[in-house]
Amino acid sequence: MTRAARYLLTPAVRPFTIMAATIVVLSLMDRGTGYFFSVGTVFSVMQLFATLGLVALGLGLTLLVREFDLSVASMVGLAGAIAVMTGGADPWIGVALGVCAGVVSGTLQGLIMTQLGLSSVGVTLGGLLTLQGITYVLTGNATVSYPNMAVALGLNAPIAGLLSVRSAAALAVFLLAGLVMTYTHVGRDIIATGSDRRASRIAGLNTDAVVVGVFAASGACAALAGVLLSYSLGAASPVALADVLAPAAAAAIVGGVSVVGGRGSAMGIAAGVLTLCILRSGLGAIGVPPYVHDLVTGGILLVIAILDAPDLMRRVTAWRLDHAERRDAALKGKSS
Amino acid sequence: MTAVPLRARLRPGGIGARHLVLAARIVGIAALTAFALTTPGFTSALSVNALLNAISFIGCVAVGMTFITLTGNIMSLCLGATVSASALIFLASLAFGVLPAFLLALGFGIVVTAAQGLLIGYFRANPILVSIAGLSLLIGGAAFATGGQRIYPGGAGLLMFKGRVAGVPVEALYFFATVIVGQFILSWTRIGRVMVMVGSNIRAAHAVGISTAAAIAVAYVIAGACAAVSGVLLAARYGSGDMELGAGYDYAAIAAVLVGGTAIQGGSGSVIRTLIGVTVIAMIEVVLLLRGFSEQLQFLITGLIVLGVIMLHTIGEKR
Repeated sequence: MTRAARYLLTPAVRPFTIMAATIVVLSLMDRGTGYFFSVGTVFSVMQLFATLGLVALGLGLTLLVREFDLSVASMVGLAGAIAVMTGGADPWIGVALGVCAGVVSGTLQGLIMTQLGLSSVGVTLGGLLTLQGITYVLTGNATVSYPNMAVALGLNAPIAGLLSVRSAAALAVFLLAGLVMTYTHVGRDIIATGSDRRASRIAGLNTDAVVVGVFAASGACAALAGVLLSYSLGAASPVALADVLAPAAAAAIVGGVSVVGGRGSAMGIAAGVLTLCILRSGLGAIGVPPYVHDLVTGGILLVIAILDAPDLMRRVTAWRLDHAERRDAALKGKSS
Repeated sequence: MTAVPLRARLRPGGIGARHLVLAARIVGIAALTAFALTTPGFTSALSVNALLNAISFIGCVAVGMTFITLTGNIMSLCLGATVSASALIFLASLAFGVLPAFLLALGFGIVVTAAQGLLIGYFRANPILVSIAGLSLLIGGAAFATGGQRIYPGGAGLLMFKGRVAGVPVEALYFFATVIVGQFILSWTRIGRVMVMVGSNIRAAHAVGISTAAAIAVAYVIAGACAAVSGVLLAARYGSGDMELGAGYDYAAIAAVLVGGTAIQGGSGSVIRTLIGVTVIAMIEVVLLLRGFSEQLQFLITGLIVLGVIMLHTIGEKR
């Protein structure tokens, strides 16, 4: 492997390499018809980004500290329901209450985990079911429509053809997260907690506070995604939002977040989300059937899973040695 | 030796906490049973059948998930899709006869999860990541194969997988058979013990010369077989299928595993515990239904109880 290829595959750069490769492949498949390279494709990519991106950002932050927040899947629905039901007169009230619910739920789950020493999968699984239940109770198990259609239209109206208010808001959150992660001690604290929690604690870092904060942020991100989605759809319904979890986790991981903690960045996550969104709308624009998107996403994830597997190099080296030994033995057998 | 201060005793992992948790478990199950038995209509044949049906489909998946959790691989997000896909295979191949179709579905479920198990066991690839990859591939593959259409069976003879024997739904018999086989493998075979050991300390298992990769692969094979059985039962029950059939079963299954008391970090747990977990959740749902709670309140209360029980279990153990 040349030095350039090696650089392109280093964990910090890999998300951008994958994104660039996706764009190149799709534009080759497009063969100059211009369906892929169009303003419309960019707009639809960014619309997908607005929902998936925020959830992936929150989930990615929890992966960074070596936890896993399953509850984001139903937080999206709950926050959407809260916003739709309270934000009829003033949409900002809905946004505030929805995001508040996210912060409260994340903080509570974080406190339960850190104070009782519980694992995040168990607690957030309970959170997932409980939040889903609250959503069912709030909406009375029916679709609630949002009376203020002007907000719905306004959120999705194109800005300069490429963005909408919704996707611009998501981008702004990513930018903010990137700045905070890079230029304040918060980012370093999160990475330290994820790399080695015990060492960080001994070094004087309040790791419990970091974990609680990360879960609060994760809840807030998922909630904001849900609020924006429900406003723009003009409705909230309690079902079918659990499907957001797997794509969000996939996006965070394609975005270079290590599942064993301590590695990843907000910009990387953005690249990961964009890759999946470009795949989805790009393949659609070219006219490839939708299942190809799932197959390609699965394939990329599988390759990443294998490349990142801790025992891969050990196994490959063992195979090589084994092979060389066998070849030597065969040569010896021939010469004697 | 100085006396252990009370606060230390009540800390997670302390002796006091462990007794407290045990007491709470017994009281909880006793209270639930009493509550269920005093609910009018709970012991009626109709309600018992509803309970058995409710636990059978998710129960099979939960038994499979137990092996994944037990070997230290947390959970699989792909089992629900495996259930659906095996159901599709079963329905599509019914024309060859029921038994060949069942074996094909079983084989398919095993191949899908065994491939994941090999990657996870051999390369130590991350189990959740691999399962999400598997989920994507299954959904894409199924959409390619079916064109997004529902599948209606091309043959007859589904009676083997539905109906009743001596008043008991056949689905429940298959589920109990799965539980018995699962617990047998876990308690009385070498590979079962090896799986528990791999889950409790994979380095130690490796150091004493155990093939950890094989143990993990076998756990995934069992999980795939269980998911396929659930898929076949669902397919027989509804007579048609699509990829929505098993949607959400992953979460229901891991909830049952954790409520039963199998440790999320692996190495401790059993299939019987999962049977208890799945029964407790189903009992709560049936009781709430019979007591006239609205569907939305049923969801909320079940969620809160699951959260509470999971917290209770883990307080007794050190992380």
